[in-house]
Amino acid sequence: MSRLAFPLALALGAVPSLGAQDANLTHLRWRADSLLGEWRQANAIADLVDSLERERAGSGRDTIAVGALRIVTNPSPLRVREAAARAWPLLDSLYGSAAAGLATRPYLVRAFDPDTTVRRPGLHVGMEVPWTLDVSALTQVLLANVPLDQPDPALSAWLSAPVRLLGSARTRGAVYVQLVTAPFQPARSCFLGDLRACRDALELGDGDPIERWYPGPTERRAVVSRWLPGASERPASAPGYRACVAGDDAACTNLLRSVPAAALPRPLDVTARATLVQTARRLGGREAYARLMAHPDAPMAERLASSAGVDLDVLLSKWRSEILAARPAPVALPPWALWVASAWTVVFAACGLRSSRWRVT
Amino acid sequence: MFRAILFSQWKWSRLIVALGAVAGFALPIVSLQGAAAADRSPLQVESLLRVVQSWGTLYPVLAAALGLLVAMATWAPDHRGRHVHALSLPLPRWRYALLRFGAGVTVLAAPIVAVLLGALLATTAATIPAGLQTYPIALALRFALALLVAYAVFFAISAGTARTAGIILGAIAALIVVQIVAGVANVELGLPDRLQMLVLNWPGPLAVFTGRWMLLDV
Repeated sequence: MSRLAFPLALALGAVPSLGAQDANLTHLRWRADSLLGEWRQANAIADLVDSLERERAGSGRDTIAVGALRIVTNPSPLRVREAAARAWPLLDSLYGSAAAGLATRPYLVRAFDPDTTVRRPGLHVGMEVPWTLDVSALTQVLLANVPLDQPDPALSAWLSAPVRLLGSARTRGAVYVQLVTAPFQPARSCFLGDLRACRDALELGDGDPIERWYPGPTERRAVVSRWLPGASERPASAPGYRACVAGDDAACTNLLRSVPAAALPRPLDVTARATLVQTARRLGGREAYARLMAHPDAPMAERLASSAGVDLDVLLSKWRSEILAARPAPVALPPWALWVASAWTVVFAACGLRSSRWRVT
Repeated sequence: MFRAILFSQWKWSRLIVALGAVAGFALPIVSLQGAAAADRSPLQVESLLRVVQSWGTLYPVLAAALGLLVAMATWAPDHRGRHVHALSLPLPRWRYALLRFGAGVTVLAAPIVAVLLGALLATTAATIPAGLQTYPIALALRFALALLVAYAVFFAISAGTARTAGIILGAIAALIVVQIVAGVANVELGLPDRLQMLVLNWPGPLAVFTGRWMLLDV
C-alpha cells in the first residue's frame, strides 16, 4: 500500500497542472487563430490597395508594346520605346516562351523631371525614373525589374533572387576571384578541377552541408571563430565556442549544427550560382528557363541539368571552363603607361633644365 | 665630365641609395613572408593577398622618398656653394643640369635593381597557392617609373628659384581661394577634386603611384 502511495499522490498532484496546461494551450491556439485571421485580412486589404494603386498608376498613360513587353508610362522625353526594343530580345532569349507572360504583366514606369522641385504625388507601384535617363541605363532598369512571377521557394532560396541577365565577363571574373580566394576547400578543389567539389561549392550536393562545405577541422574552427564570434558571448554556446577555438572539432561541429544552414557562410556566393544558371540557359537554349521552372519539387541539380539539357557534370565542367576563361586582368599598368610616365619624367626634367638659380643676383 | 659628376653624385647620395636599395630588396621578401611559412594553410589566400596589398603601399612611398632625397642631394651642394663650382665649369647651364639629372638617374638604378632582385627571390622562395600569379618584373618596372617621375618632379623643384616656388604656391593658393569663394556663392566647382582626378588618374603625372601594388595577385 505504502509503495503505491507516492505515485498516487504524484498523479493527483499533477491533475491541476495538466488542466492549467490545457487551458494555456487553448488560449495560445485561440491567439494563433486570431493572428491568422488578422493576417489574412491585412493581406486582402494590401491586395486591394495594390490593385487600386496599379489602376491609378496606369490611368492616363501610354502603353508601349515591343514583342510581348508592355510598358505603361506617362508622356515624357524618356526614350522608353528604344530601351524596350533593346531589352526585349534579351528578355526573350533569357525567358524563352515564358517571356510571353510579360504581355499580361506590364511595367509601370513614371518618368519625372529631375530638374524641378515641384512635389509629385507618391507612387507605390512600378518605377519612377528621371526622364533624362539614357537608353542604355533605362534598358538596364528594364532588365533588372522584370515583372514576372517570383520563382518557386526552392529556386528563390538557392539563387536568393529571380533569374536575371548578368553582366558577363566582369561577373564571371568576380567568381574566378572567389574560386581562388575563398577560404573553403570545395571552392579551391573546384578551381583545381574537382567537379564533385564544384557541386558542393554551388550547393548542389546531397547530405550534410557542414561536412560538404567545411570538410576539414581547420575550416570548421576557422568558420566558427570568424563567422560566429557572437557564440562566445551567449551563456549556452560559450563553453562550446571556447572548446572549439581550443581545437575540439566535435565542439565546432556541434556549434555549426546549432546554427540554421541559411546563416552559415557558403563556399561561393550567389553570384557563382547565378553564373551557373546563365551557363545552363546558354546550353539549354530558348526553353531553358521553362525547363528550369517546370519541376519546382525536383532537386536543384536535376532542374539545372534539365534546363541545360545535359548531364550535371557536363554543365559544371562548362561553367568551370567559362569561369577560368574569365580570369580578370591583373593589377598592372596599362600598355602605354611606360610612355606616359617617361614623357612626364622628360617634362619635369626639362622644367629643371630651364629653371635656374644662376639668374638670381 | 659625366664620370666626374656621377662620382660627386654618388659621394653625396650613396647613403640614401644604399638604404633605399636595402629597403627595396627587403620589401618584396617581407611582403611574401606569409607565403613562405611552413604552417600556412592553402585556404588562407585571401589573407595572403591582403598582407601583400598592405605591404604594397610602401613601394610608392619608397619611390617618392628616394626621388625626393636623391633630388635634394643632387642640388644641395650647389646651393650651399652658391653655384660657384658650376659657374666655373665651361658648360652651358642646361647641359650641366642634364648631366646632374643623368647622374641622379644612374645612381637610382641600384634601388630599382634591388627591388627586382628582391621580388624575384621572394617569388622563387615562396610557395604560391594555385590560382595566384607573381608579377616581379611588372612590379619592378612600375617602381622604376614611379621613382623616375618622383625624381624628375623633385629635381625640377630643387633646381627652381624661389620665384618659381612662389608661383607654384601662389597658383595653389589661388585655386583654394577660388574654391572657397565658389563655395560661399553656392557654385559647385569641385576644383580640388578635378585637379586630383587630373593628377592621379591616367595619363596624369602621378597616376603611376596610385592603384594596388601587387607582387602577387590572381
